[in-house]
Amino acid sequence: MILHYKCPNCGGDMSFNADTGSLSCPSCGNEENIENYPENLMSASFEENEVKEYHCDNCGAVLLTEADTTATNCSFCGAGIVIADRLAGVLAPKKVIPFTISKEEAIIAFRKWCRKGLLTPKGFMSADRIKSITGMYVPFWLYDLNSDVDVTASCTKVRTYTSGDYIYTETKYYEAYRKINLDYVKIPVDASEKMNDELMDKLEPFPYEQLKDFKTPYLAGFISEKYNYTDSALLPRAKDKISDYVDSFVHSTFAGYHSIHYRDKNIDTRAVRSDYVLLPVWMVSYDYENQEHIFAMNGQTGKVVGKPPISKGKVALWFSGIAASSFLALKCVSFFMGGGFF
Amino acid sequence: MSIFSGMTVKAASENQKQFVFDQAMLLTDTERTELESLAVELGEETETALLVLTLDGTDGKDIKKYVEDYYDDEAPGYDQPFGNTAILAIDMEQRDIYLAGFKKAEDNLDNATLDYIREQITPALSEGDYFEAFSTFMHESAYYLVDDPANLENDYDYSGIADSRNEYIEGNSSNGMLGLLSHWGFQLIVSIVLAGIVVSIMVFQSGGKVTVNGNTYMDKRNSKIINRHDRFIRKTVTKQRKPQNNSGGGGGITGGGHSHSGSRGKF
Repeated sequence: MILHYKCPNCGGDMSFNADTGSLSCPSCGNEENIENYPENLMSASFEENEVKEYHCDNCGAVLLTEADTTATNCSFCGAGIVIADRLAGVLAPKKVIPFTISKEEAIIAFRKWCRKGLLTPKGFMSADRIKSITGMYVPFWLYDLNSDVDVTASCTKVRTYTSGDYIYTETKYYEAYRKINLDYVKIPVDASEKMNDELMDKLEPFPYEQLKDFKTPYLAGFISEKYNYTDSALLPRAKDKISDYVDSFVHSTFAGYHSIHYRDKNIDTRAVRSDYVLLPVWMVSYDYENQEHIFAMNGQTGKVVGKPPISKGKVALWFSGIAASSFLALKCVSFFMGGGFF
Repeated sequence: MSIFSGMTVKAASENQKQFVFDQAMLLTDTERTELESLAVELGEETETALLVLTLDGTDGKDIKKYVEDYYDDEAPGYDQPFGNTAILAIDMEQRDIYLAGFKKAEDNLDNATLDYIREQITPALSEGDYFEAFSTFMHESAYYLVDDPANLENDYDYSGIADSRNEYIEGNSSNGMLGLLSHWGFQLIVSIVLAGIVVSIMVFQSGGKVTVNGNTYMDKRNSKIINRHDRFIRKTVTKQRKPQNNSGGGGGITGGGHSHSGSRGKF
């Protein structure tokens, strides 16, 4: 089933407006509140494989979509289309963070980011070769994880003192035990096969206070995909993401000891819950010297990630600049020390 | 052979003529000749008189005082009286060792370096291997006295930590053209390494960095230690004699007003 939002006033194609957070009509300016929009995808059921081909509700053209696409724009008339049967049942997202950065703002923010690059080539800094910029709702799993930690460690405290002609080193040995409960909530793991995991991890944090109950109109005018991996398939990655956090927390509970030797460390991490959510990402494709560079921007915070081209000249300039100035600084220090101050 | 009566070098001579003063008769004639020629050879390369004194008692003087007075009285030096001099003195009666560096040798052979050399030769001295100990003293001293140790014209195997020691010394010598030049190289290396690290960090972070940490996602209300104990098991105490004031931290100023670096110990 195809969802398409027509303006009840003028019949224009409505799409989600990142500035106002509502479904709006670009023709007459009509705004519809999304949160009160009636919809129940959870209970809706569509027969599987019923439709292999979708037709645009607006113009009737065949929609060219990939198997994972859940929202797109009709390539003929441009109307925002949501493919509802790919968002129903187990594929229904629980929550969504809507875009607050519009396309225009995203372009401006990206240009600004390009100018700030200290090592990027001059031609790149002007940011005038943006090939495409796409607003995308990326499927994520948000995990609530509970870790049950049991550790036993041999620890020492060392004290030195002098008495008479001797220096005494006193070492006290302890057996220390900790039982720790750790709760981590809403650990995001991207569930799309296409998205680079490293890039998505760097986009964090997403402002969770902006999480809204999922409604299809949020997707109108944007691209969206369904998840490729289930929550149980991605649980190891979620656990992996918090393992360092757990380790450093455990370590912090032994503050005050000079040496810690873990004899027995048992970390049992379980998923308490996992929610399927859609998070807003602007994907920027940029052509520089016949090479395509992909950047991602957090659709809420505007944080940009992605490897920009590196100018060898600028690297050399920075390198020699830092080397020369630190050499000079060292020279001064030694001059003053040699000059009798030390 | 009367050693000290033969010391007519004094102010009259421009160069040190004799380098080994074996009062305690520890060396054979061949060994003495060999050490003398080694001292001449290394002396030229280092522009420093490398002296060895063996004593059978020090007239009740402390060995450090003895060496200081010796410098004041005999005015040794490579090319002039009271010139560049490194002295190794051992006293068979008290089994004391004292190493001293004057002028250029005071800079290049600072207390820590002399301590190091003393530690290198003490085992040989304890075993009575005097020739070995004295030649090691000359080689090791020369190593730190020359600008570029690679130019030393012999196949003596210098001890392993020499490179790091050398840097340490470069960092410490604050005057003299030699010290300054090697100082430059050291500073240059530090600067280049620093710049390399900074630029690598810049390149690495150009793609954006992770800005979340353990606190971002932690539920602080429920994350806590539920149970703990810290059980005291046992205590060990080790004791170590305080380093003696005169060992290691040698050096000072002679009665004649010549400052020097030094290191003392026993064998």
